[in-house]
Amino acid sequence: MSSGRPMIDRYRWYEYVAIYVGMFLFLGFVLSPFIEGFLVSLKPLTHLFSSPYRFWPEDGSFDAYFTMWEHVPLLGRYIFNSLLISSLATIAVLILVVPAAYAFARFEFPGSGPLLGAFLAVNMFSGAVLLIPLYRLMRSMGLLNTYFAMIVPGVAFLIPTAIWLLRTYLLRIPRELDEAAWVDGAGRLYILRRIVLPIAAPGILVVALATFIGAYAQQFIFALTFNSKSEFMPLAVGLFAFFGKERVVWNELMAASFVGIAPVMIGFIFLQRYLVAGLTAGAVKQ
Amino acid sequence: MRAFFPGERPLSELTLSSLKKSFAGTAVIKGVDLDVTQGEFVVFVGPSGCGKSTLLRMIAGLEEVTSGEIVIAGKTVNDLPPVKRGIAMVFQSYALYPHMSVYENIAFPLRVEKLPEDQVRTRVSEAARVLQLESRLQQRPGTLSGGQRQRVAIGRAIVREPKIFLFDEPLSNLDAALRADMRIELTRLHKKLGATMIYVTHDQVEALTMADKIVVLNAGQIEQVGSPLDLYHRPANRFVAGFIGNPKMNFLQGTCTAADGAGITVDLGPLGLITLPRAGSPALVGQRLEVGIRPEHLSLDAPGGFRLTIRPGIIERLGIHTVAYAPLPNGDTFVALFDGDPPVADDTDIEVSVDPALCHLFDEAGLAVGLAA
Ligand SMILES: Nc1ncnc2c1ncn2[C@@H]1O[C@H](COP(=O)(O)OP(=O)(O)O)[C@@H](O)[C@H]1O
Ligand SMILES: [Mg+2]
Repeated sequence: MSSGRPMIDRYRWYEYVAIYVGMFLFLGFVLSPFIEGFLVSLKPLTHLFSSPYRFWPEDGSFDAYFTMWEHVPLLGRYIFNSLLISSLATIAVLILVVPAAYAFARFEFPGSGPLLGAFLAVNMFSGAVLLIPLYRLMRSMGLLNTYFAMIVPGVAFLIPTAIWLLRTYLLRIPRELDEAAWVDGAGRLYILRRIVLPIAAPGILVVALATFIGAYAQQFIFALTFNSKSEFMPLAVGLFAFFGKERVVWNELMAASFVGIAPVMIGFIFLQRYLVAGLTAGAVKQ
Repeated sequence: MRAFFPGERPLSELTLSSLKKSFAGTAVIKGVDLDVTQGEFVVFVGPSGCGKSTLLRMIAGLEEVTSGEIVIAGKTVNDLPPVKRGIAMVFQSYALYPHMSVYENIAFPLRVEKLPEDQVRTRVSEAARVLQLESRLQQRPGTLSGGQRQRVAIGRAIVREPKIFLFDEPLSNLDAALRADMRIELTRLHKKLGATMIYVTHDQVEALTMADKIVVLNAGQIEQVGSPLDLYHRPANRFVAGFIGNPKMNFLQGTCTAADGAGITVDLGPLGLITLPRAGSPALVGQRLEVGIRPEHLSLDAPGGFRLTIRPGIIERLGIHTVAYAPLPNGDTFVALFDGDPPVADDTDIEVSVDPALCHLFDEAGLAVGLAA
């Protein structure tokens, strides 16, 4: 085959077949819930319980995307809450993690190794294990039913991964850059601000995105436990409003889920270029 | 260079006294004493890992001093940060800031100082002029060639107007041709600025070509300090003799059989007897000595002298020189360097000779015995 590929990337026809079959299997497995969810959102509710069940919507429409706002008036608020909680958590994580990761990347201090190990260990606990103690703590401090209660525990669980990610990135910035700046009279904070942060920007973006996704995914459990006020609910909990007395309004629930994910998806598509660049590029191309 | 009044001793810019450094209990610098005069170009040379960078970084203020004293311009600076020592450093990797333009890279130390913009501009353009970087000021370092990056790094050092420039192997990332050009440029720069420069390299050619004064380091200690020709002609010990000069000096082991006021005779075993015309104490008799012969002192057609028959296995013809490598009975390789393109062939015996007065002699401790002519 005289394709323009380098030799190392050339395969025989049956290898191509195997590669593509594997890719489709994997993608199908990952994407089928989304596809089914989207199709459900297009079907009238009556069709959902008809038998035989039809996979493909025959008289599909986008009606559910309009009626859901009327059935659940707070839906917009839920979506806003979701984004707000995740954004605030991300900002809080970044503020704490950037200096911490710099310290772990550049300073040798007693206990830095064990501390990093302990951070990894925190990831082995899910937040769920600590829910009861956290609940008691929040209650005694009078913090239940606030945004604070949903953000702060999340931040605590997101910090370790973020420190590991960013530290790895900062380690790839040559120490000589810090030293050169120090020889020229710059102090640690000046170096951090003027040298390290600008060079680490792609890495910080990766950490911000990973943290945002993490916060988005984990807010459900904290919101469910620490909050019972509907005006503070994030979408994941707010979706329960579609669970009626005798039936679940599946098509609107799916529609609401997709609308809730949409802003994050769109943001992702925009930032994906930087994400890939940040994950793969050498930190410093001199 | 600053002009000195007759009789005045040149100012000492930098003094190191019994300087020591250990990392976690391992001694890396084991007591260094050195005096550097204002305006001098000093080269620290030594094999990789001997502590050159560590010593330079101690002078810069990047490594703490374990014991001893560093004095710059009459002031002890052991505990001062780099910027207060009046030094500027050029790193091996250049350490340019990739996200800043060349202009901002050079201006960086002035920005830290918070100098007004017009002064920054004057100083940066002056440095750019000296280094021929004027047309590159708006580019990022990533778009520059190796030699240009090197010059940017030097520019960043120049704008500070330091008393002492420190260079850590600044040319080692450049290819051979560029390295030769940059050597000349650095020497020219030193003449123009007249500043004190301390330059670290493992390359003895850089040391010999650029230095006013060479400091040969080995395993954390100074082996010898001197001018390039001093070190070449009068190495104080076997290490310096072997390190300075390319190709390396040949060493022939032997036993001293006679020594008096007129000459020292060494029995080189299968290679014969050699008598070096220099005074030696009779106490040398019976000692193991080493005779050092520089490859370039060997000749093919000179009469007399110490004669040696060798059979070169490999011959390198460089046009200006011819280098012959021949095995010795003890397994060492003997190197001879001839001018031009003489009629020698590999695997064919040739007789070479050397004037014994030019040979070096080292005792069992590796110290030079007498001086070569
Ligand atoms: N920060 C450090 N910690 C421990 N050992 C070091 C450190 N820096 C240098 N060394 C050791 O000191 C010795 C000299 O290193 P260096 O000064 O870099 O040598 P050179 O520049 O002559 O090649 C080496 O054996 C090196 O391993
Ligand atoms: Mg070094």
